[in-house]
Amino acid sequence: MTSSISKFVRSEKREGYYDRLVTDLTGLNDRLNAFSVIDGNMKVGFPLSVKDNLCVKGFECTASSKILRGYIPPFSATVVERALNAGFSFLGKTRMDEFGFGTFGINNDKPVRNPFDERRVAGGSSAGSAVATSIMKYHVSLAESTGGSISAPAAFCGVVGFTPTYGLLSRYGLIDYANSLDKVGVMGRSSQDVRYLFDKVKGYDRRDSTSVDSALKSRETKNLMIVEELLDKVEDRVKTRFLGFLDRLKGNGYSVESVSAKDLEHSIAAYYIISMAEASTNLAKYCGFKYGLKVDDFTKGYNDFFSEARASFGAEAKRRILLGTFVRGKSVRSRYYSRATKIRRAVINRLKALTKKGLLISPTMPVLTPTFEEVEKLTPVQNYAMDILTVPPNLAGMPHVSFPYDYLNGLPLGAQAVSDHFDDYTLLDFVSEWEKGFRYEFKYNLGDL
Amino acid sequence: MDQKEFDRLASISRLRLDENEREKFLKEIDEVIRLFDEIEKADVDSLEPAFHPIDIPQRLRGEEPEAFGNKKELLGNTKIYRFYVVGPKI
Repeated sequence: MTSSISKFVRSEKREGYYDRLVTDLTGLNDRLNAFSVIDGNMKVGFPLSVKDNLCVKGFECTASSKILRGYIPPFSATVVERALNAGFSFLGKTRMDEFGFGTFGINNDKPVRNPFDERRVAGGSSAGSAVATSIMKYHVSLAESTGGSISAPAAFCGVVGFTPTYGLLSRYGLIDYANSLDKVGVMGRSSQDVRYLFDKVKGYDRRDSTSVDSALKSRETKNLMIVEELLDKVEDRVKTRFLGFLDRLKGNGYSVESVSAKDLEHSIAAYYIISMAEASTNLAKYCGFKYGLKVDDFTKGYNDFFSEARASFGAEAKRRILLGTFVRGKSVRSRYYSRATKIRRAVINRLKALTKKGLLISPTMPVLTPTFEEVEKLTPVQNYAMDILTVPPNLAGMPHVSFPYDYLNGLPLGAQAVSDHFDDYTLLDFVSEWEKGFRYEFKYNLGDL
Repeated sequence: MDQKEFDRLASISRLRLDENEREKFLKEIDEVIRLFDEIEKADVDSLEPAFHPIDIPQRLRGEEPEAFGNKKELLGNTKIYRFYVVGPKI
């Protein structure tokens, strides 16, 4: 499959292209809520959307939180700056779960709707980026994942969502959720588009202390592994389709081995302990006189002033602040936070040992895209359990990619492949091979040439 | 978690919760803590903690001042009095 980026760049039909695209996009966005900002200025480059937790100089950046309304960053994130320098054109900011706190794209002012069926969720937290990718013919998105925020919406919206090894894409200019887990990534309609943007934005950045510049590997492997304990969590109708997908892979020359990995059992708990601990400290910077929302009454004492500002957080943010503050408490820290970091070590060790032998593969999500009503009924713990397949590679900072492999009742089904640290290109090569025999389906193709 | 402990947690978190939020979070937080308690069963005592997923080289920047391009833009998100950021009383 050739990159749609090269086709777009070669096209001579780009006069008035942006005007038409922005008009069509604005109309559809009124229903789907994918974008919080659409930039209507005339441009000529390949359209790029940016998740609303990445700063773009001069455009409001809120991470879909009320507490950041009105915040205009005076600088761009490194990945944005590099993409613009490479010739991409900034199209707009995409809506997300507030600060990345969510799996369904609903924890914000306007829940994001799935373009395949508007009664259903888009997935989260990079909901708007996935929807934008699913509705536009020529477009890529810069997104971000902490525990599955790229894979989940990519699966529900039928696009390719790539989360690179931790540290490969700079976090400078990213609004932090959990520093040791946050990873900037890329979404596109093909592995080629994703790879193109990834290559333009990757690389060491001295402004991010966790940035790395290790050489990336690519190896040929025909060995795939499924983790029994994870597949057991998948609902039957999804599992049946996934097993059919494995049969097609076997037909393409891959071997599929079933492996046991009990060490992954506590991934969800460890992930939420670490991420909430980090989130609860990161959110302390929103204190009512810097960034976004301002509390006007300066006669108040600091604690009152601070508490008044924090009333603007949404329910999930408040829940995570409470739980994060709790697990960091002196009397329970070793029981929760310290132990969770050891579980992360066990997960890293296990996944590294497995991925030395090949790629791990699983459905991306354990369920078919749920409706808003179905999601509303979930308790927080049931909600967190939806991340069971995406959390292990995120906790371990390992590269992973979600891509569509089938459609059920008109909804896309996503598979997720995981590889070893810095083995990122192997994943993109694997998806590229799969795409040779797969036909993507989309409901909208805005901006067709 | 009992109500007294929950109220203390909300207080040190600097969150003012209304009665509905308080009731809802108190119930939900218990459920989440039960999930967290599951990690006691993990056999990980002998392992080193992983504070990051990969080894991060310690590359510290030099102590060299750098000027930010546009001071006015930088301060544009705050209330200013004579180039000072205005904040609450401490």
